[in-house]
Amino acid sequence: MKNNASLNIIALSSTALALPGIALADAPPTQSTISYKLSNYQEDDLSRSEAPLGELDRYDIDVHQFQLVSPLGRNMSLHVDANYESLSGASPWFTSRSLDGEPVVNLSGPSGINDRRTELSVGSRYYLENGSFAGNIGYSEENDYRASYFSLNGERHYNNDLTTVSAGLSYSSDEIFPTDAELFNRVQDEDKQSTSLFISVSQIINQLSSFQSALSFTEQSGFLNDPYKLRDIRPDDKTQIAWSNSYRRFFVSANAALHVNYRYYHDDFGISSHTSDLSWHQNLGRTFQLVPQLRYYSQSAADFFTNVDDFLSPLSEYQSSDYRLSAFGAVSGGFSVIADMGSWKATLTAERYLANDKYSAYEVSEPSTALVKYNRLSLGIDFKF
Amino acid sequence: MRQLRNTLLLSICSLLLISCADVRAWERGYLAREEMAWDTDALESALNDHIFFSKEASSGGNSAAGGGCGCN
Amino acid sequence: MSPEPKRFSFKAMGSFCEIQLFDESPVRAKNIAKQLIDEVARLEKKYSRFREDSLLSRINSSAGNKAGLAIDEETQSLFNHALNCFEQSDGLFDITSGALNQLWDFKKALVPSQEKIDAARAHVGLHKVSCQDSHIRLPRYMQIDFGGIVKEYAADSAASLARSLDVEHGLVNLGGDFSVIGAQPENTPWTIGISSPESKNDIMAKIDLINGGLASSGDYERFFMHEGHRYSHILNPLTGWPASGLRAVSIAANLCSVAGSVATIAMLKEEVEAKIWLKDSGLGHVYMDSQGIVAGADLKNKN
Repeated sequence: MKNNASLNIIALSSTALALPGIALADAPPTQSTISYKLSNYQEDDLSRSEAPLGELDRYDIDVHQFQLVSPLGRNMSLHVDANYESLSGASPWFTSRSLDGEPVVNLSGPSGINDRRTELSVGSRYYLENGSFAGNIGYSEENDYRASYFSLNGERHYNNDLTTVSAGLSYSSDEIFPTDAELFNRVQDEDKQSTSLFISVSQIINQLSSFQSALSFTEQSGFLNDPYKLRDIRPDDKTQIAWSNSYRRFFVSANAALHVNYRYYHDDFGISSHTSDLSWHQNLGRTFQLVPQLRYYSQSAADFFTNVDDFLSPLSEYQSSDYRLSAFGAVSGGFSVIADMGSWKATLTAERYLANDKYSAYEVSEPSTALVKYNRLSLGIDFKF
Repeated sequence: MRQLRNTLLLSICSLLLISCADVRAWERGYLAREEMAWDTDALESALNDHIFFSKEASSGGNSAAGGGCGCN
Repeated sequence: MSPEPKRFSFKAMGSFCEIQLFDESPVRAKNIAKQLIDEVARLEKKYSRFREDSLLSRINSSAGNKAGLAIDEETQSLFNHALNCFEQSDGLFDITSGALNQLWDFKKALVPSQEKIDAARAHVGLHKVSCQDSHIRLPRYMQIDFGGIVKEYAADSAASLARSLDVEHGLVNLGGDFSVIGAQPENTPWTIGISSPESKNDIMAKIDLINGGLASSGDYERFFMHEGHRYSHILNPLTGWPASGLRAVSIAANLCSVAGSVATIAMLKEEVEAKIWLKDSGLGHVYMDSQGIVAGADLKNKN
């Protein structure tokens, strides 16, 4: 039983904590941050046995990301994101059977693909005593693709900020206009729309750990085929659901944080997937941080996936040899080194990704031959001012 | 109001099948650390989302999606 | 590697103040310190008894005005905390004791007549002040003084601001009221020496702090002897006489604001009662009793 004195203290704490300078409200940033990240993404080339004819080089992509986060008055923040991506290489064009009956992949034409993607998005977040809300609009353009999108989201804290509920929606209107459409008899101008809703709850468990669970629904409609594939016919409507869970825990003695994430995904193309990743954020002194990370992903195949395009089947029948619709598993590992020098921060990340039908947690009836392996190297710089 | 809050707290905790402590504002030093954030590096997670979106069939997570791209 | 903190000293609220920050960038540390000092200065300007343009002076000059004076949320919160202290201490901690303060002249060490004390006590009592609908209404001749609360609040507020500016290791000291942000690097606690009321240069105890506040109350250099009794400058609003219990108390708590309120209440209680109350409080504390004996509990405060 509590004695009088400790009851007095509890009572005194309650009003002391209500003092505005002490109450920890959600706060907008007080400094501006400019970030830049340069990444090189390179897929392993196919071997001759996988692609007996044509191109072996797959994608090589350079990505430049810029971000500015800046306070805007007392209660607002401004976010500006700009991305520039230049891409070269070839992507799977059609699959066929080799002379010995094995499925093989044929990469797109000798010139391959040379594309650039430019994206700009601007958003703002408004901070209230118990939460915040934000809006964002963006535009992305490629040689053959345009997307315009917006999103709105809000979050609110409950239980003395122990619980946070957030929700949001986003909408994207995309236009697809393949290059050399007439030459290759591709579609000329198609569009698709995506609407996405999410709700998430995060909860502080104790002084060292917290948990977040989120549900998202996405509805896509319009032209969902791959216009560059010789035969790729998919439904014109797709409903996706994803359930994501995140756990964070700090280890005081190790001076490190553990991140555990898991996501279950399902859509009405018939694809289900599990994604789990782990990372360990190890502080070394006050300046350095090492972050090893491990990710495992596995998906089942879409109902209409085939590893050998069937050019004889009627056009009304759904079919796709897109390796992304096949059943496979992927393992990736990465390592980041972060140096935080107060106003400057540098992050170097290396990642290796291996997709293989043998890693699949789901049954693989038709393995795809075009699964990717890639390396990624990134260097990021943040500057606070 | 307080009762409502406590009920909400209890129900969320039982939903998660974990016991939640009443962690006061001044006890959140570790939770507030940068490496404990849901998203520790916005550009890194944006890049990862973008790459995985273009190489895997799944997307969606704990935030609303951005725009599409010709990569998928 | 044990870096030295960057120290910034300044004068505020009539005391020597200091901010210590561990930050590798001196420019950033200086920039943060400036913001914290500005926050302390803001509160001093708003609640100083000695400034005619302060909000506090405007509140006091509104005494007797039936319509009252409109006050902001921060002031209401401070008032609520003061009212809470008043209630939790059964009227001992009273921010309306001003009329009594004017009566007692500690420099001349004169005891005022009982009649005068009784007359002044008629204008003391926080329960007579109303604070509703964002308006404070002070009865005629009454005044309030947030002096016993604002310094501690300013320390907490500055520490909280520091946390929001990503400070992980820092200390705010406003004339002996401490609010610390985390431990020192490598989890070393902040060790705070408590001066003895007999001589400021003597350390009577040490308290270790990690994240939280420490406040002290005592008759440091401000007391007088009368008929063999030692009277502190801290007045008991219920009797109108100075308190004569403990000579000094220091409290460690999660917030400096809580520590300060507890320390003041402990000083106002009867000596025996105060010792029991402190023991039951569960907070880290150290005190010197009327015999000059130093005692306490949980000095290695683990907050």
